[in-house]
Amino acid sequence: MENAIKRNDNFYLKEEKLRSKKKTELVSTVVINVLIAIFALIWIIPIVWLLVTAFSKYTGIDTMHFFPAQGWTLNNFKVVLFEPDSVCQYVAWFKNTFVIAIFSCLISTTFVLMVSYAFSCMRFKGRQTMMKFSIILNMFPGVLSMIAVYFVMKQLGLTNSHVGMVIVYSAGSGLGYLICKGFMDTIPTTIREAARLDGASEAQIFFKIILPLSKPIIVYTVISAFLAPWADFVFAKLMLNSGISSDWTVAIGLYNMLGKDLKSHYFSIFCAGGLLISIPISVLFLLMQKYYVEGVTGGASKG
Amino acid sequence: MASNKEVHASSIGEAFEMFFKNIKNYFADFGKALSKGDIAVKLSTVLMGAGYFARKKFIVGLLTMLMEAAFIFMCIFYAAPNLAKFGTLGDTVRSTQFDPLTMQNTVIEGDNSFLILLNSVIVLFLFVVFILLWIHNIKRAYELQQDYEKGVHINTFVEDVKSLFNGRFNVTLLALPTVGIVLMNIIPILILIAVAFTNYDQQHMPPSALFTWVGLANFKNIINLSSGSSAFGYAFFKVLGWTLVWAFFSTFTCFLGGIVMAKLITYRKVKFPKFWRTLFVVTIAVPQFVTLLLVRYFFGDTGIVNSFCASIGITDFLKSIGLVASHLSYIPFLTHPGWAKFMIIMINIWVGVPYQMLIATGVLLNIPESQIESAKLDGANTWQIFWHITMPYVLFVEGPTLITDFVRNINNFNVIYLLTQDTFVTTNQTLANANAKEVDLLVTWLFRLTNDYYNYKMASVIGIIVFVICAVFSLIAFSRFLANGREESYQ
Repeated sequence: MENAIKRNDNFYLKEEKLRSKKKTELVSTVVINVLIAIFALIWIIPIVWLLVTAFSKYTGIDTMHFFPAQGWTLNNFKVVLFEPDSVCQYVAWFKNTFVIAIFSCLISTTFVLMVSYAFSCMRFKGRQTMMKFSIILNMFPGVLSMIAVYFVMKQLGLTNSHVGMVIVYSAGSGLGYLICKGFMDTIPTTIREAARLDGASEAQIFFKIILPLSKPIIVYTVISAFLAPWADFVFAKLMLNSGISSDWTVAIGLYNMLGKDLKSHYFSIFCAGGLLISIPISVLFLLMQKYYVEGVTGGASKG
Repeated sequence: MASNKEVHASSIGEAFEMFFKNIKNYFADFGKALSKGDIAVKLSTVLMGAGYFARKKFIVGLLTMLMEAAFIFMCIFYAAPNLAKFGTLGDTVRSTQFDPLTMQNTVIEGDNSFLILLNSVIVLFLFVVFILLWIHNIKRAYELQQDYEKGVHINTFVEDVKSLFNGRFNVTLLALPTVGIVLMNIIPILILIAVAFTNYDQQHMPPSALFTWVGLANFKNIINLSSGSSAFGYAFFKVLGWTLVWAFFSTFTCFLGGIVMAKLITYRKVKFPKFWRTLFVVTIAVPQFVTLLLVRYFFGDTGIVNSFCASIGITDFLKSIGLVASHLSYIPFLTHPGWAKFMIIMINIWVGVPYQMLIATGVLLNIPESQIESAKLDGANTWQIFWHITMPYVLFVEGPTLITDFVRNINNFNVIYLLTQDTFVTTNQTLANANAKEVDLLVTWLFRLTNDYYNYKMASVIGIIVFVICAVFSLIAFSRFLANGREESYQ
């Protein structure tokens, strides 16, 4: 009898616990979703500001209103795309940056793949030394030696030229092989050995076996190399210093719009230009991010 | 071919030991080739390529000889005139002279110290390359002699070329990238190092003036704390302090923020995780120079955040608790040193967390499920699992990236420059004397010194110091994280 009552008590206790657990579960679900919404809001506010200011009729920086108070317009985009003036040469900048990006992307990707294959799939005298040396060399940030780079390029007559920009962006790219090599390290050696037994040369293995298998990392390398010139600001500012605005890249062009005297007339145009360049870059970036994560995590655990 | 077996060093000490052993072997081989080689090998020391001719490799021999000729040509017409002035970096200043024939002043070009330096560095680099090739040529000649004596087949020229796509494919692959790296990385770094020992600055600007060697004067200047003639010592330690503080906080806030964010988004109770993730990723897809410049005006002294804070009373509240000076009518988000430093780190969280979240999501997905399951069976709760399984795993995978991020943050030019250039003005006179600001990192300071003040000598010194700092951190990190035996622990 007593035992039966006890068991009954236990049963009710359990029931009670379950119900309260459900309650806390609900509360925590709400809390966590609200939390994430707040974070998302913080992160998206500047982007929304960029978006709405690009459509604003007021050309300066509106310090009182978040949303354009003077009404909406497409005029900023019209100025950016069809009405170049001495300050805003957006189409020309876009073209310059695009050409530079294409060529530096081609060269960089080729270099990275070449170095990665040599270090990952081949064994030769001095390989370890070269790898260590390149890691140390890579620690020397480009910003530091850029003045010397500038003088070397000036000596070669390549400042204020887009060829010079391509060289600046791609010549040293062989050092950035780590992620790509990390990926190639994961390709089983047996595949290469089998090919070698079949009489394939190293070059054939490189082109016909390793490259097709490395598609994800090639996509990553291509996109990241293509994006670099769009985001670079320092080298472009240093190298393209002639003051001829039609020679600039998008980054310096847009930066120039926010100069002391210009920003009250060009702020909303800056936003429109910034928005336009963000769209293709975002698309590419979203494509790349998958491979980016794979590359970083895969490469990191392989060393 | 020499043995292809590789020995891995497991510590820095061993790495150095191996390095010196390799150098010793390198020269030992060279000495052996010289002493035991026949007449052709010995002739190769003077007439490069002789060893190839002796083994009927005429084309390679000819190419080697042509290279030697080109080098001698270079020595006479390029190296000699430059190296002759390398000791002084030039002695003739540019001058103007009245020309009675044209009745005008003509400019007589003097020496250009920088060109002499640049060309000399290139020449010295070529010398080193040539010596290496010279040694290689002798060793190779001896190898050919040995092959010949043993009756081993010696490759014809066609076979040599073919081997560039097979056994020696690495040479083909690495040739062009190496040239690029020499041009863009090695030569500039050598020049930078050389400039640090000169007095190259605004008063000594070629081509109108000369500069010369000053020994260690610039290095003494930068560690000299007495605020006498220059403020560089004071500014240097201040900027260095902030650089390290910044690198530490920016790396760890973003790292932890990224993990928390990834955990939050992948938490089972969260609705629409894909939507949230895309939202965060979009914020980093917009180029930094757009968002950072935007945020700079967002938080400007007369910016929209200030209007908002003033209207709801936050500004007055901050004044009453003393966080904002009472004479200001705004919050100096990016104009007061303390506030600016705080805001820069905050804004950097905004910039950096989505990146780290992306990586962390990938890493978290790869955690071995079995470990978590067994921990659960042992009765571990969520927190214990997070601290004892998740974090060690994440640290293991991301450890090297964390250090690279730290080094990258020491050199994070974009965030600081785009947020503070033109808007932040220092009130500290001693710092201003050295052209530095409170919010400067070593790299932004260096950039300003070169770009605005042409103070190349001090910029070079700073550049070398930054490199040493980065190298030390990286070496420690790589030896800790990539030491042998650690790589397999999660495989």
